[in-house]
Amino acid sequence: MTADIELEQNPVYLVRSPAFDGPIELLLSLAQRAEVDLKAIQLATLTDDYLRAIERERPPLDRLAAFLVIGARLVQIKAAGLMPQPSSTEEDDLEAWEEAIKGRLAEYKRFKELAESLMRRHATGRFSFAGLFEPEVIPQARVQVSLDALAAAFQQVLDRLPPPEQIAFEMEHISLADKLEELRRLLSGQAETSFTAVFSRARTRLEAVVIFLALLELIRIGEISVVQGSPFAEIKVRARAPQEE
Amino acid sequence: MIDTAVAGTVDQVGDLASSLEAVLFTLNRPVTVLELRDILQAPLSQVEMAAAALAERLSGRGLLLQRHQDQLQLVTDPSQADVVRRVLRPEFPSRLSPAAYETLAIIAYRQPLTRARIEEIRGVNCEAVLESLEEKDLITETGRLEAPGTPRLFGTTIKFLQILGLSSLEELPPLPEAPAASGSTTS
Repeated sequence: MTADIELEQNPVYLVRSPAFDGPIELLLSLAQRAEVDLKAIQLATLTDDYLRAIERERPPLDRLAAFLVIGARLVQIKAAGLMPQPSSTEEDDLEAWEEAIKGRLAEYKRFKELAESLMRRHATGRFSFAGLFEPEVIPQARVQVSLDALAAAFQQVLDRLPPPEQIAFEMEHISLADKLEELRRLLSGQAETSFTAVFSRARTRLEAVVIFLALLELIRIGEISVVQGSPFAEIKVRARAPQEE
Repeated sequence: MIDTAVAGTVDQVGDLASSLEAVLFTLNRPVTVLELRDILQAPLSQVEMAAAALAERLSGRGLLLQRHQDQLQLVTDPSQADVVRRVLRPEFPSRLSPAAYETLAIIAYRQPLTRARIEEIRGVNCEAVLESLEEKDLITETGRLEAPGTPRLFGTTIKFLQILGLSSLEELPPLPEAPAASGSTTS
């Protein structure tokens, strides 16, 4: 190694220790080739000696930096040697690890930029939309009333009921199944009835709520449909023939 | 003879493209090419040709044929987003967190990949952001890695294409090289 020879003529630091005597550059290159046992050299003592030496005479900055680099490499090699299964590829592994870190940072940076471009694209709001009604939910044909209108009509039903004068502790038993049957009976006698008529027999809010749930369930399973002829007109409830869609 | 045979095939593909359009319009959801093969009663190769023909026919129109892996869906063209939004009143998430866009970008370009790989790139735990993206139906599990623990593999969904108005993943901007130059093309 020509570099070794050059450096030896003007060493960064001359190491004086029982295990090694000579320029620190030589120590490093021998250690890199595993020709000297770093375990036998106390790097802490070496560093202390160096610190004392530079206190007496401060070398130029580039020389200080050179010592730091060489010292760091020595520590690295020694540390690697202390790890289980020391091998000469440890050095390469460290370099590979360094490369991997750098690569990862570069990779992250690329994705960060892509993320920003996705965000900008998303922010333009130029979406593509799928159609409004999903057939596997309730087909539109069964609900020809807006949800708002349905909710408003139900609110009117509730408003018509007498306000609760006192809190009743008596448990009311109103079953959804019963109300489903009642609605079916009501619509088997007539093809069509009005939304308010459906609730004519409701005495309490709870009963009205259960009837409303029953109504929604019948719409869902396709036995009835609700229709509003024009805005604000009475909502009609109709029985649907099976397979009519 | 050869000419008429070719012309016949072109007609068939054209008819099939019309049928495909009608089916996608009616079903109004992502439909796989395998499903379409059964519905259209045509071999996969013809379904693919019909899809290509339909995509071409739709250019310059209000609809777009979206393609994600083996799924096809007929959606509105992103150029019509404003007018469609006027009739829809939808509550679409108009913004995601920076972490969500980062995770989406990584998945979009590297799919399928595991959570561990995503975390390796982002350098932070991604459990919560993955959960939220999955809930929004922007990503999904596409399979399991054949490795210890068989970790889940993530990929983007067709909904992901919809929030960006892309016809397919191929429309994503290309992955920039190492220190990326900002892509400003004048075409």
